[in-house]
Amino acid sequence: MLTPEQMSRLLIVASKDRMTPVITELYRHNLFHIEDYVESGAKGYEGFKIGTPLSGATEASGDLVKIRAIQNTFSIRSDDFEVKERQKQSGLQGQIERELPAIEQEVEGLTVKRSKLETKVKEYEQKITELTPFIGIPGDLDLYRGYLRFAVFAGYVAHEISLSVPNEMFVVKGKGKNFIIVVAPVEHRNVVEGALQEAGYQAVPIPDESGDPKERISFYSSKIALFKKEIEEINKKLDEIKVKHASFLVACEELLKIQVAQTEVPLRFATTSEAFVAEGWVPSGSVETIRQGLVKATGGKIYVTELAIGEHDIVPVEYNNPSFSKPSQLLLDTYSRPKYTELDPTIMISIVFPIFFGLILGDVGYGILLLILCLGLRKFVKGEEGRQLLVVLRNASIASIFFGVFYSEFLGFPCPWAYVLPSRHLNIGGEGGHGPNIPGLMMVAIWIGIIHITLGRVLGIVNHARQDHGDHRIKAVLANAGWILVMWGILVMIWSIVQLPYMPDFTTLPPVVMNLNATAIVGALMLVIGALFIARDSGLELVELPTIISHTLSYSRLVAVGLSSVAIAMVVNYIAIGMLIEPQLKNITLVGVIFIILGVIVFLGGHLMNMVLGILGGSLHSIRLHYVEFFTKFYKGGGRKYSPFGLTRRFTEDL
Amino acid sequence: MAAEVVAAITDIELMKASQIGMKAIAGALAVGLTGIGAAIAEMAIGSAAVGATAENKDVFGLVLLLTVIPETIVIFGLVVALLLIF
Repeated sequence: MLTPEQMSRLLIVASKDRMTPVITELYRHNLFHIEDYVESGAKGYEGFKIGTPLSGATEASGDLVKIRAIQNTFSIRSDDFEVKERQKQSGLQGQIERELPAIEQEVEGLTVKRSKLETKVKEYEQKITELTPFIGIPGDLDLYRGYLRFAVFAGYVAHEISLSVPNEMFVVKGKGKNFIIVVAPVEHRNVVEGALQEAGYQAVPIPDESGDPKERISFYSSKIALFKKEIEEINKKLDEIKVKHASFLVACEELLKIQVAQTEVPLRFATTSEAFVAEGWVPSGSVETIRQGLVKATGGKIYVTELAIGEHDIVPVEYNNPSFSKPSQLLLDTYSRPKYTELDPTIMISIVFPIFFGLILGDVGYGILLLILCLGLRKFVKGEEGRQLLVVLRNASIASIFFGVFYSEFLGFPCPWAYVLPSRHLNIGGEGGHGPNIPGLMMVAIWIGIIHITLGRVLGIVNHARQDHGDHRIKAVLANAGWILVMWGILVMIWSIVQLPYMPDFTTLPPVVMNLNATAIVGALMLVIGALFIARDSGLELVELPTIISHTLSYSRLVAVGLSSVAIAMVVNYIAIGMLIEPQLKNITLVGVIFIILGVIVFLGGHLMNMVLGILGGSLHSIRLHYVEFFTKFYKGGGRKYSPFGLTRRFTEDL
Repeated sequence: MAAEVVAAITDIELMKASQIGMKAIAGALAVGLTGIGAAIAEMAIGSAAVGATAENKDVFGLVLLLTVIPETIVIFGLVVALLLIF
């Protein structure tokens, strides 16, 4: 539970003619994590070569590329595709050979045609934009070109110009810029250009067209409409093909993926001219199943043995958690997967994360809303990770409801029952009762911090005891114990000096020396001994001593973030009900109704915003307390993911 | 005589009220200024952290630690503010 799945290193040797049944069998089990063979002349592997793909690899990859191209055209994603019925592999194989080329040809033909039409549409649209400025000017487009003795200028100017040379000018006034056409004799070209330049001239190309611009534009528009209609028809045809063949395509993709994986896997084996060797990792509980399966598949002509795990072997890591904490693996993977020898803290996250979330967003109303949201989104979220996240949030929302009961809060309103935890009801709008019990809340948060950090350090002791060897092991274990001693030493000293709510009180004990009582001296001793233990492992670590205080105080965010969301909720309630709705209800008028509607909008919008902030704040701060304050005490991560050779078939059956 | 006593009491009440006000201002400064300080520090670290994560997803845990280091100061500010007010 607290450790990853136990793994065994397996060595499989067989003659090359047994390769196919061995691969099929390993693939079927989906348990064998292959250790890639590298030609480095390792001891015992002299003369071995990397294997060559089985026959059919090239064809299968080629087909797979084709299928993926078609899937892209249709934007079919097998992850999002619901399984309707599973197809038999043997039947599918023939179907691929018969139908795939035809489908491919049809789809390709249609898409090529579509992209041609789309280019045409773009081209014509460009022409229309070019023609548009000329609409306002009378005359055919032929009139703008073909002169020997005249120069034609067309473009935009910031203001009108007057020319000293003979010319003909048309101006279409527009917003901010005017479209201008100037025709002048060639010999005066320079004068005209100069004047235009001064007016901020931007040249517009004269379209290579003839006839009236308006007519040309309507001609192109009608053409575009025609093309768009054709595109529409092609899309409709493609949709028909998609509906007809989608399930065939995803099944094909799966089958070909399997074939490619199987035919290319010899590239990861070590081979000689007659035999092959596969090394890999299998969960220890499944070794026998695999061995028996392989023996059966090859008729006993195979050698399977378990190797000892070496010190430098990087063992792949597979989680081994009870089902309720499996979704929290997502939170751990985001940080880093545990190493094989490390403790796996998933189960602790799965319990503590919802508690922290509830402490922050402890509100029955928000909890229920978030729960409904999570349950509702379950239908729409398809990916594995998204589903895990939803389950994590669902658990968090249930915790939120529980803590809402303890805090006695419903959308910021007090509930009819008394609060169990210290009050978070602020004095907003003069109806907050006694106001919040901030010192009490702080102490609760700090207690949580103390316990959480101590737990982290204890796990650190366990981790070092498991991972390290010799002298360093003792030092590291003692250093972790030293951190616990220092922390509790400081606590005992504080308790001996100041009186705090919800904390032991040693201030009443009689002073022994220097106005310090017995417990203060014990605390000081604990601090010194702890610091010595830490210094023995690494003197530099002593610089980190202040983190004991800062990390413990960091848990006060459980209160601070929570209080801020309570404050927002209460302010929203006060504005919406106290200020907008309630005064109008006494004497309903037309203006009053508008105010009431406004109040309802403020109420809904405010609580929606606060809920979004609460979910973000609640989850981010809870997970941060894990990553920063908890994990730094014991967890390193960096384990290799266990990815077995095989696939869970969704659309096909191995028949 | 009586009028002087009343005036003195009012003065004391006024002083008390202004003390509470000053404490509130001090608390607000403690949280607000530390918040600004942490924000400036996290601005630089955060953008670098996002860049690093985009390059290599494995460093997420590490850069998260680096990003939140300046946050400590806000927590100290919050504690100071709470100590001032309560």
